[in-house]
Amino acid sequence: MPFNILNVKSNPSKVIIICLLFLNILSLTILYSSLHQRGELKNQDIFYKQITWILISWLVLIIISFINYRLYLDFSYIFYILNLILLVAVYFFGKKTMGAQRWLSIFGFSFQPSELSKITTIFLLAKFFSSADRKYFIKGFIFPLVLILINALLIFKQPDLGTAVVLIILFLMVGVSSRIRKRCFIFLVGAGLFLLPFSGHFLKDYQKKRLIVFLNPNVDPLGAGYTIIQSKIAIGSGKLAGKGFLAGTQNQFNFLPERHTDFIFTIVAEEWGFLGSLFLLLIYWLIIKMILDRAKETRDPFARRLSIGICSYLFIHIFINIGMTLGILPVVGIPLIFLSYGGTNLVVSFLLVGIFFNICKNT
Amino acid sequence: MGQNLIRRIYLGGFLLLVFSLFYYQIVKGDYYLERARNNYVRIIPLESIRGTIFDKNSVPLAYDKASFNIAVVPYEIQDKKNYLFNELAGFSGYDANLLHSNYEKRKANIFSPVDIILDVDKMKALKIKEKFGEDILINPQPTRFYPYPYESAHILGYVKKAVSSFQSLKKYGYTPAERIGFGGIEQYYDAYLKGDNGGDLIEVDAEGKMVGFLGERLPQKGRDIYLTIDSRIQKYAYNAMGKKRGTIILLDSMKGEVLSLVSLPSFDPNDFIKGRNIKKLLAGDDKPLINRASQATYPLGSTFKPIVSVAALDSKKATPSTTFNCGGTFNLGMASFRCAHTHDQENLYDALIHSCNIYFYNLGLIIGSQTMARWAKKFGLDSDTEIDLPYERKGLVPSPLWKSKEFRTTWFKGDTVNFSIGQGFIEVTPLENLIAFNVFASGGYLIKPYILKKVDATDSTLSAKSYLGIPQDSLNAVREGLRGAVRKEDGTSYYLKKLNLKIAGKTGTAQTYGKSHGWFLGFFPYDDPKYTICTFLENCGSSFYAVKASYDFLKSLKEQELL
Repeated sequence: MPFNILNVKSNPSKVIIICLLFLNILSLTILYSSLHQRGELKNQDIFYKQITWILISWLVLIIISFINYRLYLDFSYIFYILNLILLVAVYFFGKKTMGAQRWLSIFGFSFQPSELSKITTIFLLAKFFSSADRKYFIKGFIFPLVLILINALLIFKQPDLGTAVVLIILFLMVGVSSRIRKRCFIFLVGAGLFLLPFSGHFLKDYQKKRLIVFLNPNVDPLGAGYTIIQSKIAIGSGKLAGKGFLAGTQNQFNFLPERHTDFIFTIVAEEWGFLGSLFLLLIYWLIIKMILDRAKETRDPFARRLSIGICSYLFIHIFINIGMTLGILPVVGIPLIFLSYGGTNLVVSFLLVGIFFNICKNT
Repeated sequence: MGQNLIRRIYLGGFLLLVFSLFYYQIVKGDYYLERARNNYVRIIPLESIRGTIFDKNSVPLAYDKASFNIAVVPYEIQDKKNYLFNELAGFSGYDANLLHSNYEKRKANIFSPVDIILDVDKMKALKIKEKFGEDILINPQPTRFYPYPYESAHILGYVKKAVSSFQSLKKYGYTPAERIGFGGIEQYYDAYLKGDNGGDLIEVDAEGKMVGFLGERLPQKGRDIYLTIDSRIQKYAYNAMGKKRGTIILLDSMKGEVLSLVSLPSFDPNDFIKGRNIKKLLAGDDKPLINRASQATYPLGSTFKPIVSVAALDSKKATPSTTFNCGGTFNLGMASFRCAHTHDQENLYDALIHSCNIYFYNLGLIIGSQTMARWAKKFGLDSDTEIDLPYERKGLVPSPLWKSKEFRTTWFKGDTVNFSIGQGFIEVTPLENLIAFNVFASGGYLIKPYILKKVDATDSTLSAKSYLGIPQDSLNAVREGLRGAVRKEDGTSYYLKKLNLKIAGKTGTAQTYGKSHGWFLGFFPYDDPKYTICTFLENCGSSFYAVKASYDFLKSLKEQELL
């Protein structure tokens, strides 16, 4: 089949590199558009910062792809503990921005340890669910669950509901793919149902508000609901082919808050329409498919779980972020992977892809 | 099962996204495009009600009351505006031109009601509504009201539209149309008082007609705050001042609660709400908007002598029994400095009672300007008292170094002589002077003054004090002198003795351009001080008037059993 461009089994790394380059260009294009208001370019430094972050991310990817992935098996506990220390440090010394304490500053370089905990969680899950212990209920299921819940709880306290949810879904997805036993599932569902009535108690006011607004955006149209209403109008008005580059009125006239970070997808949908959005989803799917196919082939169970952890990470971010801009999921503040403005998430995503490249080389 | 299941989950997720996108962009695309193209969402703001400011006995000092405005919606009266305005003017007795000018000034967008007649009586508003029906609407607006305008103007401040200083307020999330506190408590605690604005979000069509109601957010009332001020004491302080310029402050000696603070001349903050007389207030020569207690500095005159005494005792160069001879004049080189009387031989106690200048000239020269400056600073005379009022000014404590920088001349002995009786370069706010003097009342503590007592039911935690480390016997030596000034027949504040309040005090006549300023600082009861008072009268001629005003003030408080 000469026209089957998806037939690239022989080298998934190459396909992914092309996809990533495409996403980089798209990210900068959309960022440019989001900073463009009424014919004026505002906050140019954001644009140049993002270029710097993209270059750093590629550097990280290249370096990581040379490090043997088996290392993460041996060091997964150490990474976990180091990350835990950082999370506790955030709790005590973290920088407060917009009511949440998520940032840690080391040598004048700020980052969010909660993003790093996504990596350590993936290592830990791959280790547990690939070992023989996974047959046991306590050792192979409850123990890793508790470790990850500790992480999730610390992050939830920051408060960063989105990342905490990501960690728990990661656990479920890697668990599902490793055929954990039925009674584990029964336990999970039971525990979930038991805890549900208490959840209202743990949520911060603004998180509760977001959940209520998700159910009915019209209760608070000037606050949280406003974003969803405007986001839907922007996406819907893109129609089949979109309004064209820099022509998105919702975007250009500043109706959309947070549009260069969590709501960047609305610009894609508004300016490039259904076709553009579909194409973007295809690119994402291609990356996930490459990783999943490779995971199936490999014989090393650790490499397999690691790969599934990585593509679950990608999937969760894509699904929750786009879902929330469409109003089908609550707004929990998760960036759109490879596209949203922001350094830590970009570097972490590239780093995970770098690990996958090494898996490709070594299995 | 595992891997295929996960692949199915991924695929299901992607398909769900594709279907949702298809639904919003293809099926409902036209609907949303219509909404996007004309910006069909409008916000009609609703202003929140500001928190009430109460005094310590829960008497309201500032609150929002509804004022009834007659408003029209531009969109609905487009074709009959002139006719309607003429009719309205005829019916209500207002000038039609005023209606037109209000309309032009206040028009924002064609949906928001525009107030054309402001603040009408409720009954009249209803009558107008009855006559004109749907064409007009009664627009009740929260309006700030100050029931005790002149007494409390400087403590409370007033509110105004944020638009006048919008550029600097924008970053704090203010909108131009909302009210913001300015000056006084209204400004200092604006964050508590202001509440959250709400609004209606409506959907309109391309012609601007309202086609749907998207939702509303109800405005949230601001928080109520309670002050340490007693409005009754405030009234007597204001009355005791008569027509004079200056300030009376009454402080709880130990806690630092400000019980009353008046500054004259005063103004009516309601004028700013109604927009009347503002030019006159801003242009006035006697600057009524300045809070003379905390925003203006003056030479402190003889009220500086207790601090010089502490400095001298601390330096060990003098003791309470150190004696100097007062011959009525004091010669230093070519210059001659005078005393009010000829006091002959005086020790520290006598000198404080009589306020003998020559005694303190000698003391000042013995200990030197540096020591006096150091102690003046220790008593807080060149730092903020950190009272919770905006735009507080700091006093100035001179020193040889300061003078050489400022004037490029050396510090003369004459400067030291002047400095020792609180004249020359030194200037302080009456509030700073009160807090410094309160050190003698509180047993050696510099106590922070504050006005906020409670926010809703939560007590403020503003009370703070620092210990200056003055030996008790030095402190007592000075305290005895201060008590003597009231108790002894020849004391400068003997006039206050008949109040029987066991006052200890110090007067000051501070020379300045024009007539001298008058000071009186006091605390009582002497054995267990509860109150500290500062009376300052600008250019009144002599300290006697300050003593007299303090007398009138404390006499009414005693009669009314407010102490």
